[in-house]
This record gives sequence, C-alpha cells and structure tokens, in this order.
Amino acid sequence: MSTWTRKTDYPILTRRIPCWPFGDPKGRRTISIDEYMKPPAEMGWDTRAGTLAGYESLRKAITTYSPDELVEVVKKANLRGRGGAGFPAGMKWSFLPKPDANGDGGQRYLAINADESEPASFKDRLLMDFDPHLVLEGIAIACYACRIQTAYFYIRGEYHHQAKVMENAIREAYARGIFGKQGLLQGAKTKNRDQAWAVDVHLHRGAGAYICGEETGLLESIEGKRGWPRNKPPFPAIKGLFGRPTIINNVETLAHVPSVVEMGPEWFAGQGCNSSFQGAPPSWGTKLMGVSGHVNRPGVFECDLGIPLRVLIEGKDYCQGMRGGKKFKGAIAGGISMGVLGPDQMDAEMDFDIGRKYNVLGLGTACPTVFDEDTDMVAVARNIARFYKHESCGQCTPCREGSGWLYQLLCKIERGDAKSKDLDLALEVATSMGTMPGTTICGLADGNNWAVRTIMNKYPVEFEARVKRTYVQVGLTVGVG
Amino acid sequence: MAWITKNSAGMKIPRRSEPYLTEALKSELTRTILPRYETRRGALLPTLHAVQHEWGWIPWQALEEVAAFLNVAPAEAWDTASFYEEFWLQPKGTNVIAVCRSIACEVCDHKKITQACKEKLGIEVGETTDDGKFTLVELECLGLCEGAPACLVNEDMHMCATPESITKAIDQAKNAPSHGHGHHH
Ligand SMILES: Cc1cc2nc3c(=O)[nH]c(=O)nc-3n(C[C@H](O)[C@H](O)[C@H](O)COP(=O)(O)O)c2cc1C
Ligand code: SF4
Ligand code: FES
Repeated sequence: MSTWTRKTDYPILTRRIPCWPFGDPKGRRTISIDEYMKPPAEMGWDTRAGTLAGYESLRKAITTYSPDELVEVVKKANLRGRGGAGFPAGMKWSFLPKPDANGDGGQRYLAINADESEPASFKDRLLMDFDPHLVLEGIAIACYACRIQTAYFYIRGEYHHQAKVMENAIREAYARGIFGKQGLLQGAKTKNRDQAWAVDVHLHRGAGAYICGEETGLLESIEGKRGWPRNKPPFPAIKGLFGRPTIINNVETLAHVPSVVEMGPEWFAGQGCNSSFQGAPPSWGTKLMGVSGHVNRPGVFECDLGIPLRVLIEGKDYCQGMRGGKKFKGAIAGGISMGVLGPDQMDAEMDFDIGRKYNVLGLGTACPTVFDEDTDMVAVARNIARFYKHESCGQCTPCREGSGWLYQLLCKIERGDAKSKDLDLALEVATSMGTMPGTTICGLADGNNWAVRTIMNKYPVEFEARVKRTYVQVGLTVGVG
Repeated sequence: MAWITKNSAGMKIPRRSEPYLTEALKSELTRTILPRYETRRGALLPTLHAVQHEWGWIPWQALEEVAAFLNVAPAEAWDTASFYEEFWLQPKGTNVIAVCRSIACEVCDHKKITQACKEKLGIEVGETTDDGKFTLVELECLGLCEGAPACLVNEDMHMCATPESITKAIDQAKNAPSHGHGHHH
C-alpha cells in the first residue's frame, strides 16, 4: 500500500451529503433550502470548509467584490474545470468581452453542463440529487462575476429524478428572492456600482445525446437544434448561445465556487497537489471521484486531487479492494474517452498531470471503472467503440466513418475472425481521428482514438491472441495461418 | 443487392382532427417556456418533451403542429426530433425498460439483466409487447455506474439489478395504474 495520506481531512463539496471517506452514504437526503440556509454548525455539518450559512457566500461575493475582483479570486484559486478538460474557470471567465462603458453589454449566458453522459461518469449526479442549492449558489456567484443574467441548466434527459430535484430547488430559490428580477438576494446592493444584479435560471432537459455534453453541441441543443458541435473559433466566450458571449461550466466546477469565495484561494491551494511539471498549472482542491466496476465498494468519493488510484481502490475508507480478491487488470482513467491505465499503472496519481505521466488523454471526469483479471479487454474495446459509433454526430468524415469502421474491426477481432494486419488497421484508423490530428470538429473523436488506442497498446498480447497471423514476405501477403 | 427506396413525397401521414398540441398545452408553454428563450425555436426541446409526456410519443402530425407553433419548418422540427434518442417518433409501450449496456454495466454482467427482461416480456431488445405494455431497449451509460448493472424502469433508477429484481420491477410496473405517460391509443 502506498504511503500517501490525504491532506484534506474534512468534506468540502460533500459536507451536507454523507460521502466516503468522511461519512456513510446511507444517511443521504436532499437538502432543502431551509436546511441549506441554516448555519452549518446548527445542522451538525462540518465547519472546517466554512461557517457561513447557505447563500451567504453569495452575499459575500456580491457585496465585497466587484465582478472583476471575483474573477481574480477564482483565477488565483486555479479552479480547474471538473467537466473533463481541466481548463481554469477564472481564466475562462476572463475571456468574456468587457461590457461597454455604460455597463450594458447586452445579453450574456451561462450554460451549466449537467449532461454527464460520458460512460463511467456519475459524480455530478450526487450534487444534483442531494445538494442542489450548493450548485445554484455557485451558479449565482458565477453569473455575478461574469455579469450574466440568464443561466441554463442543461441536464441530460435520463436524469428524470435529478431534473425534478433541480427544478424544485430553482423554484425554492426564486421564492426566497435569490433569483428573479428584483436582483440576487432580494435585490441586495452589490459592489458593482451599488446596483442589484438580477439572474434567471432555467432548467433545460436534453433528450439522450452524448454529444450535447460537448460545449457547443450543448448550445445548439438549447437553441432547439440537433446537437452538432460548432467549429471553433469563434469560442463561446465571444460568440456562444444565440450568438452572444457564453460561459459553459460543469456542475462540480460551479459547486466549488461558494467555498472558494468564503475561504479564499490560499485555502483552496491547501487541498490537492501541485503539478510535478515546471510551469504547469496545479491540481488544487478536492474532486469527486466516482468509482465503478470490480471493486468492493463502488461509489462517489471526495478526494484530494493527486490521490493514487491504488489508494482509491484498496483504501479501507475508499473502495476496500478488488471484488472477490481478484487482481487489478486496469481501469478507465476517468470516463472512457481518457483511455485506460494498464496493469502496471495502479499507482497513477489522480490529478491533472495524469495524461502526461501515464499515457492517457487526461483526468477527464475522474471516474474510473476498474477491471479485474478476468476482464476481456478486447470486449472492453469493442464496447467502447460501439459507444462512439452510436454517439458520433456524423458531421466529420473521420469520426463518422472511422468510428463505424473501428467498431466493425473490433467485433471481428473479438469473434476471432480478424488477421493480424487488422490490428494495424484498427490502430491506424484510431490514430487518424480527432482534433489532435486536426481532422474533426470536436473532441469526441479524440476520445474514441485514445480509448481504443490505449487499450490496444496496453494489452497487445490479448489482441494478438485473438487474431490469425498474417505471413508477410517482402511486403507481400503470402498466406494466413 | 436490394434497393432501398424512399418515397417521402408519397408518405402517408396518419391524421386526426383533434390536435396533439392542445390549446391547454400551448397556453401553458406560452406562459412558462417561451419567455425563457431568446428565439421561439429555443423552446423546441421543452415543447417536444411536453408533447411526448402527454401522448407517450411524438406523431408526425404533432411535429407539424409544434413546427407551426414555434415558427419553424416541419423539416426543422423533424431534424431536431429525430436527432435525439429519447424522442419517440413511433409509438412505444406504456412502460419502457432501459438496460444500460455501457462499460461499467457490461463488465458487471448486464447481459443477464437484458436476458431476464427478454424472457419475462417475451420480446427482443427494441421490441414492444403485443399488449403495448412494455418496450425493451438497451441504452448507453445512464450515469448510474456505481450501481452497475443499472436500468431505468420508466423514470425510475434501478441499480445493482439482478434478474430477480428486474423481473419484480416489471411486475410492479405492469400493475401500477399509471406512471405519468398517458398513452392514448
Ligand atoms: C464529446 C464530449 C462530451 C462532453 N461531455 C461533457 C459532459 O457530459 N459534462 C461536462 O461537464 N463536460 C463535458 N464535456 C466537456 C465540455 O465540452 C466542457 O469542456 C466542459 O463542460 C467545461 O466545463 P468545465 O470547464 O467547468 O469543466 C464534453 C466534451 C466532449 C468533447
Ligand atoms: S468529431 Fe464526431 S462527434 Fe464531434 S463534431 Fe465531428 S462527427 Fe460530430
Ligand atoms: S455504464 Fe451503465 S450506468 Fe454507467
């Protein structure tokens, strides 16, 4: 067992939601606005991540900071996006054009990405299910910081129950005057020229399309169109929803904002870890990690960024080991698009450096699916390839055709009908698709590329054992054995 | 090789005299949904959801009515509706059983759940029972992976499914008077 010890010994995002390693999920229930607005001490919630009652971080944000100062706070905290790409939220917010001199820059939008459709990912659901007001408070603060008046909460269609919880929470917040035309917090005077700042939040339900999680696909979907990602530039911060400047953030990213505002960036820097690469941004803060697959205790855990996968799997406060005492074979790094961590990569630190260090695409949603020794990795690759074939939106030829081709090849390999040159072909097809080779509009194809390629590269023996050898002589195929 | 012929112009569209997008629905949408979006088209997804909620699926005639209501061409309404897997452009059963087939569920043996559903309902994936009560589908990750193998029984999450638990859930759905999706034949 590695010697890693956690830095953060108290819950932050999950202090109202009993969650391992801090509490037992059995006691979970949805926090109502009445409870949320009580001081945590009174409710018996941990106060080490702040003593302010619910929506008081919002009050602090709007009364002590101007919007620009607030963006600076979030920038200083290096709060990196929790939706997949890890882009610093403060930096993203600062890309919005400055409103013109009289302060009226026209409409700008916030789109909250609650699409959570990346296979193996389920961590945002925890926040929506049980602490919807934490998310709404983050949304309110972000809207003030970015001078945004309308936010759309884009939730995947399959989250029926969560949509109802969020809808109800939004209704509660309106009834208390937190949102609505009178201005945030019953029209409280903000530090922004002493004026109230009004914010509207609307729930928008998706309808079963993974691609709508891609930020510009999501905007198209809100506009009532098919979720076809847009070519970038222009980036959404300049020209987004309905042609207006738009910020897109993940649910968990926004849920971090209230405590960052209350406790400050220095405090935030005390969780997580620094980058081991010179000049790379740090991985500060905690992260919700959702572990599934062959472990004894799957679920969502709140962890310091940098926790080794081994601790997450074997730790008694975490997953309590592999199911049935089996051996670890590998794990999805964090959502299937990130690729797999191989049998020798169990010590991988779960932080934003993981891509560079362990030959995966990145940390993604930090939701690993763990595989035991009995897992057929060819079947895993086939399952994943089917997903991309099914979800490719079809705009770009390499993705539309490549994903179908890859799936067929992998089916053939799984059946035992393929030849060894089919392995090369599959790798070639995978490698040629994505924004990183520069052949597609969005990152779905990169996900396909990395997922299939890392599985094939990290488990070559399994793939080779499934194919018939092709004998090649002087570049000429002479027979199949 | 066989030919596939598409005869859009001659397509027979079943019609009925009462609208699917009723005046009541329209006024509800006008009051609560339209003001939320900068364009009328923005209300398309919520409108399609509302129609599907009312009728259990979205008939072609309803799409035309939605298009007229939101000032878009019927082809645009169709374009959007057909893109999303959750919009049913053909009738489905009163109850939908959706078994997750993505990675966490596959490695936790989702196959035996699908198999149990098939046996219980006597249908294949993608089919509806003769009495119109159940449709069985397999979907990609439902976001319930810690409870793999996972399913949705209508709108309800069903986690850590076993053949017994899903069979029981099907029985319960069968006997439940209604679960909100009015399916008017
Ligand atoms: C194909 C694809 C699917 C995505 N799905 C999601 C998703 O379901 N949820 C999410 O938060 N981000 C998703 N993303 C990432 C978003 O594009 C975007 O980076 C993110 O929402 C930004 O929020 P953040 O900076 O707060 O992380 C997806 C990206 C791609 C390319
Ligand atoms: S890469 Fe694939 S999913 Fe993304 S826009 Fe192109 S075709 Fe669509
Ligand atoms: S993989 Fe089945 S719910 Fe996520």
